[in-house]
Amino acid sequence: MTRGGILRLFACIVLASFVLLPLGQAIFLSFTATLEADGRPIGTIGFHNYLKILQTPELRASVGNSITYVLLNVAFCLIAGLPAAYALARYSFIGDRHFLMFLLAFRVTPPVVLSLPIFILFARAGLVNSPIGIALVHCVFNLPIAIWILESFIAAIPRSFDEMAFLDGHSRTGFFVRFLIPAVAPGIAVAAFFCFIFSWVEVVFARILTVTAGKPITQAITALFTFRTDWGLVMAMTVFSLIPGVLMIFLVRNQLARGFVIRT
Amino acid sequence: MKPHSNAAWGLMLPAALVMIFVAVLPLLAVLNYSFHDIFSLDKVFWVGTDWYEMIVVTPRFWASLGRSALFSTLALGIQLPLGIAIALMLRKIGPRGAVLMLMCLAIPLVVPTNMIAGLWLALIRPEGLGGQVMRALHLTLDYKFNPLHTWALILVVDTWHWLGLVVVLAYAGLSSIQPAYYQAAAVDSASRWAVFRWIELPQISGALWIVLLLRLVDSFMIYTEVMTINAGGPNDATTFLSLELGEDIKAYSYGTAAARAMVDFVFVLTLVWVFVKLRQTDDPEVGKAK
Repeated sequence: MTRGGILRLFACIVLASFVLLPLGQAIFLSFTATLEADGRPIGTIGFHNYLKILQTPELRASVGNSITYVLLNVAFCLIAGLPAAYALARYSFIGDRHFLMFLLAFRVTPPVVLSLPIFILFARAGLVNSPIGIALVHCVFNLPIAIWILESFIAAIPRSFDEMAFLDGHSRTGFFVRFLIPAVAPGIAVAAFFCFIFSWVEVVFARILTVTAGKPITQAITALFTFRTDWGLVMAMTVFSLIPGVLMIFLVRNQLARGFVIRT
Repeated sequence: MKPHSNAAWGLMLPAALVMIFVAVLPLLAVLNYSFHDIFSLDKVFWVGTDWYEMIVVTPRFWASLGRSALFSTLALGIQLPLGIAIALMLRKIGPRGAVLMLMCLAIPLVVPTNMIAGLWLALIRPEGLGGQVMRALHLTLDYKFNPLHTWALILVVDTWHWLGLVVVLAYAGLSSIQPAYYQAAAVDSASRWAVFRWIELPQISGALWIVLLLRLVDSFMIYTEVMTINAGGPNDATTFLSLELGEDIKAYSYGTAAARAMVDFVFVLTLVWVFVKLRQTDDPEVGKAK
């Protein structure tokens, strides 16, 4: 191995340790009893924290709630984002640049700024405590991301690709379903990945929009902090909450590594 | 050159409607609240620009703004160069190792925001692994009472959380460079710096601008991590703009909170505007019809 190779290996090990250290600690704690309960002394190693998650209905339900609104949000962003990205990639029209500017401004608006009116508006529309409400409100920051990524991928396809399909007599809907979506599938995967993670980790909107029901995982974790916090259980729930995200990373790993260019 | 067609707005309609409902209407409502004193939903009084005047004369507000700006500068100054350097290194270690490292670096991105700081606090508490290592090395981390330590911890936690995003996007840009460019550079015996400046940087600039903007604004309005670590302390040393806003909301003073939110929004919007202007100088094609 060359000197550069050894240096790079060393850098990778340092980097991986930095990233994995807090996670390792959390995984270790998640298997440890941190409160005395059921006659189990503190420090016992075992699956009891995970079993407790499965036995507590609120914790179980929160996983389902989070998955529901995150998947809905990904669907909303792709369905609304794909036509918009196509329009921006293929045509120039009045206000196209302003629309991108407008998207940028809302992607970067902090959720705290909008939280109060969103609550009032959604309460009137009957969208509080419902996964549809959270899925919709997460579009504030995810729809711009989806449009950007998809626009970059569509712009990379030559225009003759569209024209061929239209010459063959395909309608626009037919073209979208049969040609465009397969051609930009890697882009859809990347966009879905980013929408998924940003929606999964978000806490402010998810909290204010779930008053009595439909609590997400993040809220279930917060609720575990009490006078005597059971850290083992908190960490088990946190580790549990990472599973879908890590699964997503695993699914799109090759798309991320293969390379894509994002235009601004 | 793209054909001109205003009918393309038809394709934009779903996205535009969603954004109007979840973003534009709420923002207009915040603007409206910011001119009122709100006791309850049916006891609302017009106060004009009182809240704004109250905010801009408070030294505490300007101090928070300064701290937010400093934090963003430090966070970007660390995370962007480090992320690019890591992406360049990963290009050299072969695709299998690189994919493994990318997956590893992306994990912090999927940790729920309210647990990011919690993971680190569990690590550095005296019984934790980090705490034990520090004791063995006779290091002390007094993040509750020493402002420098609080800042350092927040920066480390924020870097841990977001470094993966910089690396993933930079790496994706680098992977899409055609080998022919590198071959041409080798024929010209270009220096390593020249290859980076004229081949690699232009290829990743699109992704970098996005990362720059996202990190700029997210670090500028950082809230949850800072709140968990030391709630803005010690002695307001880590009270950023968002924490002041959070205090108002928790105290149910919606009028002030709304005015503060609007002021923060204007700062964020200014940042975006400067960003777009800089981007246009960097690449004159942006903003024109492509």
